[in-house]
Amino acid sequence: MIRLEHVSKTYKTLARPALDDVSVSVDKGEFVFLIGPSGSGKSTFLQLLLREEVPSDGRVIVADWNVAKLPRRRVPKLRQRVGCVFQDFRLLNNKTVSENVAFALEVIGKPRHTIRKVVPEVLQLVGLDGKADRMPAELSGGEQQRVAIARAFVNRPLVLMCDEPTGNLDPDTSQDIMLLLERINRTGTTLVMATHDHSIVDSMRRRVVELSHGKVIRDDARGVYGVGR
Amino acid sequence: MRASFVSSEVVNGLRRNVSMTIAMILTTAVSLTLLGSGLVVVRKVDQAQESLQQAADVVVYLNDDVSANDSTCEQQPCAGLRSELEQASGVQSVEYQNRQQVYQRAIKKFENRPELREIARPEALPAALWVELGQNVDPAAVQQQFGDSAGVANVDNQSEFVQQMVGKLNDVRDGTFLIAALQAFAALLLISNTIQLSAFNRRTETGIMRLVGASRWYTQLPFLLEAMVSGIIGSLAAVGLLVVIKEAFLDGLMQPLTNAGLLTPVSYADIAFVSPVLVLVASVISGLTGYLTLRLYVRI
Repeated sequence: MIRLEHVSKTYKTLARPALDDVSVSVDKGEFVFLIGPSGSGKSTFLQLLLREEVPSDGRVIVADWNVAKLPRRRVPKLRQRVGCVFQDFRLLNNKTVSENVAFALEVIGKPRHTIRKVVPEVLQLVGLDGKADRMPAELSGGEQQRVAIARAFVNRPLVLMCDEPTGNLDPDTSQDIMLLLERINRTGTTLVMATHDHSIVDSMRRRVVELSHGKVIRDDARGVYGVGR
Repeated sequence: MRASFVSSEVVNGLRRNVSMTIAMILTTAVSLTLLGSGLVVVRKVDQAQESLQQAADVVVYLNDDVSANDSTCEQQPCAGLRSELEQASGVQSVEYQNRQQVYQRAIKKFENRPELREIARPEALPAALWVELGQNVDPAAVQQQFGDSAGVANVDNQSEFVQQMVGKLNDVRDGTFLIAALQAFAALLLISNTIQLSAFNRRTETGIMRLVGASRWYTQLPFLLEAMVSGIIGSLAAVGLLVVIKEAFLDGLMQPLTNAGLLTPVSYADIAFVSPVLVLVASVISGLTGYLTLRLYVRI
């Protein structure tokens, strides 16, 4: 589903590369934690998958698309197949919960009857049925992140990328969000999650790819956050 | 494409940026009013040139003696003068008008000025030979050649007057276009600024649109339409301003010229003629400015 082949990414403003000869392969339906300290290259890794950035060297393949070579007009098609969730939720505060989720479908031109059908379904999946008409400001942090996950998942992407999705949440809420992500992963969606949260990584025992100074220094099939913990 | 979604985004965008939108509409309106005025002047100049050039290029006014005694130009010196003129190089036609005909012509010309019609008398007007010249013939040469001939009171070079008047009207047009161009430049900067501000205000929406796979076209369209809607409203306001200017100032200002038969008054037909041009210019310019601003300055 995802393949990075000898990928390097350098920025003019940085002395050393953000990613340095990284090769990683992720199968369909896998759940992968991407860990490492700040500046280790996690965000660049995710940005390459979304074609927010293009590699300086190497190939990035997502769902059979060579992302770097993708013509500009085809990039939206890639992004329709790759959902993303962020630490800061990025909800539209002037829209209700269901409008926020529907927005992701409206802007890609989905018909109204499809939107009316799938939005309540996905809100039920993320545990927000009954809160469709609430405004984001009326929700807790965990609920807001559920809305963001619903929005990312409503178009049934092949890959869901999460950049520190529990970074703003307390441990109990984080645990709930992880259960939700696990449930989404069980539907066959490949999940790549960048995180600093030791306890989540340790408790879930999923594949862990650790980056340091732009290099992959560890790739464990059922890893924990720190070696020997 | 969801038309209802795009239109609601456009309305929200215009509402959120209301002060900038009003500034953009007003500047566009003033600029297009000047452009419209310039276009009306061009139209009037064309009409004036056409109507004045339909008249003779040179008019040879005959003296009192000839005017009083020779109503058909069959006696000397009128007949000889006429024949000489007809044979002169570059002359296309010569038409004689006796006092009565000149009087009738004057009455028709001053149909809107009864006071002049009242005092006009056939005896006060000279008979004339109306001479039409071929292209590239210098009327001054004819004027010089026949100015001192027997029976001639004076020779009037009509084209000289037409050129002078057209020159003055063209100066007015050029001045109007220059100010319109400066205003248009200000309008372009405002459109560009407003779009940047609008895009900044909606960066969360556009960021999400980009991430969920909305096409660049879908993301940019509301901003482009905002610019075009403001431009079109500005152009409609400009048409309204042209009507107000016509009614409030222009008709009175132009009255001496229209009464003298030199210009036709600015009519609603003239305004209707330039209006589609203004709307078209506003749509194209605002759309193009919006597109370039989004491409150059805004990451969507």
